[in-house]
Order: sequence, then C-alpha cells, then structure tokens
Amino acid sequence: MLDQLLAPKYVGWLIDGFYVTLAVSALASAAATVLGLLLCLARLAPTRWLAWPALAWLSLFRNTPLLVQLFFWYFGLAALMPQGLLEWLNTPHHWHLAFFGVRWPPFEYVAGFTGLTLFTAAFIAEEFRAGVRGVPPGQAVAARALGLRPWQVWRYVVIPQAFRIALPPLLGQYMNAVKNSSLTMAIGLAELSYASRQVETETFKTFQAFGIATLLYIGTVAVIELAGQWVQRRRPALGAVR
Amino acid sequence: MIRKFRFLALLALSALAGVAQADRLDDIRKAGVLRVAAFDSNPPFGFVDPKSKQIVGLDVDYARELASKLGVKLQLVPTNPANRIPLLSANKVDIVLANFTITEERAKQVNFSIPYFASGQQFIAKKGTLKSADQLGSLRIGVDKGTTNEIVLREKYPGATLVAYDDTPFAFTALRNGNVQAITQDGPKLIGLLANVPDKENYEIPPFSISDDLIGAGLPKDETRFTEYVNAFLRELEASGKAQKIYDAWFGPSTKTPLTRIFRIGDK
Repeated sequence: MLDQLLAPKYVGWLIDGFYVTLAVSALASAAATVLGLLLCLARLAPTRWLAWPALAWLSLFRNTPLLVQLFFWYFGLAALMPQGLLEWLNTPHHWHLAFFGVRWPPFEYVAGFTGLTLFTAAFIAEEFRAGVRGVPPGQAVAARALGLRPWQVWRYVVIPQAFRIALPPLLGQYMNAVKNSSLTMAIGLAELSYASRQVETETFKTFQAFGIATLLYIGTVAVIELAGQWVQRRRPALGAVR
Repeated sequence: MIRKFRFLALLALSALAGVAQADRLDDIRKAGVLRVAAFDSNPPFGFVDPKSKQIVGLDVDYARELASKLGVKLQLVPTNPANRIPLLSANKVDIVLANFTITEERAKQVNFSIPYFASGQQFIAKKGTLKSADQLGSLRIGVDKGTTNEIVLREKYPGATLVAYDDTPFAFTALRNGNVQAITQDGPKLIGLLANVPDKENYEIPPFSISDDLIGAGLPKDETRFTEYVNAFLRELEASGKAQKIYDAWFGPSTKTPLTRIFRIGDK
C-alpha cells in the first residue's frame, strides 16, 4: 500500500508546479481585469478610432485557440525579436529595490503570462460590456441631468453597477484562467500539468500523478467559487447602490 | 509444486543447451551460407536502397565483411525489432546485425558480441557554445517530454535547467530562438534532425555523449566459439581501419548525416 504513494520528492515537484499555476493565473487574471476594463471602455467609445481597434482585438483573441497564441508568443515572436533582446530576456536578472529583490523570470513565464493575459482580457472585456449593457440607460441620462460630468457618470454610476452585474461571469473567467494556464506546459512552463506529466514519466504512477493534479485544480476553482458566493452574499441586491 | 516446476524447466533448458552444442561455426561453413537478420527500414543501419532495391546500411556492411571473412555467401533476412530474438532462437538466422542494443534482459536469451557501435545521448548547440559535458550543469537545455533523456540528464547534471517540449522539432525551435542553449536526444536522431535544417551550418553536435547504448551482434545462446570468432573479427576490422571506413560511409563528413565517431570497437 505504502509503495503506491508518491515519494516526497515528487510531491514536492507537484507543489512547485501548483505554485507556478497559482502565480501565473493570478497575475494574468489581475492584469487581464485592468486590460479588459480598458478594452471594454474602448469598445463602447463613441469614436470609431477606439471602437474598431478594440473590436479587432476582441475578435482576434477570442476566435483563435489559446494554444496557438501561446506558440505565437513563445516561438513566433521570439523568432522576430533582435538577438540581443531575446538573450537578455532569457538570462536571469536581479534587481535590488528598496527592501526586496526582483528576479526576472525565464522567458517561458513571460510568454505564458502574456498569452494568458491577452486571451483572458478579451473575454473579460466582453463580460464587462455585458455588465454595462445591464445598467438601464436611463440612469446615465439621469446622472447627466443631475449635472455629473461624463467621466463622473462612468465612475460613480455605470461602472460600479456594471461591475456587480459582471461579477459572477468574471469569476468564471478567473476559473477559466486557472484551467487554461495548463496549456502553457506546451511552451515549457513548469506549472502543475507539466509537473504531473514529469512525475508520471519518472515514477509510472499515472493515477497518483494526474489524480493529485486534478484535486489541486478542483480545489483552486472551488476556492474561487466560494469567494464569489461570499462577496455576493455581502452585496446582495443586483444594482443596489448603497 | 513451484520447486518441482523449476526443476523441470531447468531440465528442459539443459536439454536445449545440449542441442546447441553442435557447433554453429562449422554448420555455416558446411552450408556455405551466412544467414543474417538485418533491418530493412531503419536508415542508415539497414534499409532498402530505393535505386538498387537491395538492403544496404552500416549493419549490412558488417554482415558482408563477416561473410567474406568466413568465405561463404551472405543471405540477408529482413527483420523488425520485435523479431530479432525469435529469429535467432528458432534457428532461422545465424546472427543478428540490426542495431541490437545490448541489455541484461536480452543477454539471458542470446549471446552478444563485443559492441561495434554506440548510440549515446548527445546534444545540439549553436556552434562554439558547448565544448564539454562539464558545461551542462549551468545551461538551459531543451528535452523531449517523457523520454529517458530527460531523466538521465536530471540525474547526472542536477544543476542544469531543463525545459521539456512536446517533441524534438519544438525543442529545436526553442534552441534556434535562444530559449535554451542546447537540446538533447540520441545522437543518430539528432543528426537526422540536423540534416533537414536549412541553416545547419550554425549548429553542431559536440563530440561527447553522456550515456551509451552499446550495439552488438546477436548470436545464438551458448555458441561460445562462434561468439569469440565474431569478437576477433570485429577487433580485426577496427585494427585494419575497415570499421572506420564503414562508419564513414554512413556517418562520415561527406554524408548527409555527419556525426563524429566517438566510440571505437574495443572501447568497452
């Protein structure tokens, strides 16, 4: 029975991979939220100079497979970069800021983070747009009538409500980001799926390796789910502004 | 019960061994034919030449030399990897020359000659960047997912950063882009890959390997005299320079797949 367990070394590999999965999906989700909001605003802008490029971005990133996009960032873009820049990106760097050191990650992280962020941002932008659409237009008109400036209408009236409407699907996109991060194993990022495959190769304990990985993914998604329910319970009424 | 069974098995084995006492070397000379199992689709070890429709290759050259040394005719029997041992034990061939890696498991069923070829785990790097195995510990190296190459490299050079890709062409692209400084695979596979690369003059396969798969001739079990004869023949081939000549015909500098000869007969 005991020999069916994974040796501590291999459990360690899985945990290391799990950290990378958490880090890359959390960073990508945060960056994608900011970028998605900007994209949504551009998409809704009255001028076509902003709306059309945003539309092009959304269709490009939503309509191509993430795996192909990752290959593009890792293999494709790297082939176009000047040699010196790529070398710099691939060598480890250290900076010492006031209290802590910053380490430049290997190119796999950069490419994986970039690919996942840009892909997720396109989906988040559309969730935000749906949220904005969900705010009755009369509210914006009324806010203008009350003398708010256009940016104030957005800042104080539309966006807070839109955000609340968009929250459940937004969390869904974060869960997708966690799951999609597994595709970065194709470009050599040592995240959870990559680690489980490596453990499987060395130990031949297929069920254990992929089983533990599956549980960690389910656990992460469940935590996001619970966090979402908690937030919604604290701010229940849809569209209610306190 | 089990013990009785074991005894019976032993008895059967010794009976078989008794049959094998008849000397194969004399049989071959008497028949005037040397029957050799060779690959027919594994270039450059043994494959059908599209022009002549004959089986040719590095292993076939060794077979030809052995037949001429014995003064008998050569009869080639095409085989695949799985059939090599059955052909020998069913007495369909006298010797297997088919990129036959020497393993302990196989040595229980057949006799092996001394190795005459080694295919080791080697590296491709940009020219001039990788000179010796000592450097490996500080490099980023691309490997193929799920291969023994990855495991061997991690065990021997724990300091190296390994990046695993889905297959060798992906790993090579990463090398070309500079994401890794070297990639690793079996030497003959690497040379096959490099042969199809448009800018191959920028890359090289440094002449060292970190593991060896030793290739030997497979002979019938317990044919000691025949085995020793083949060993002497192989040493002689190396001494006369013929082994080098055969190697150069398939892996020499003027071929499509130039690979520096690291292993010589008698090294191991």
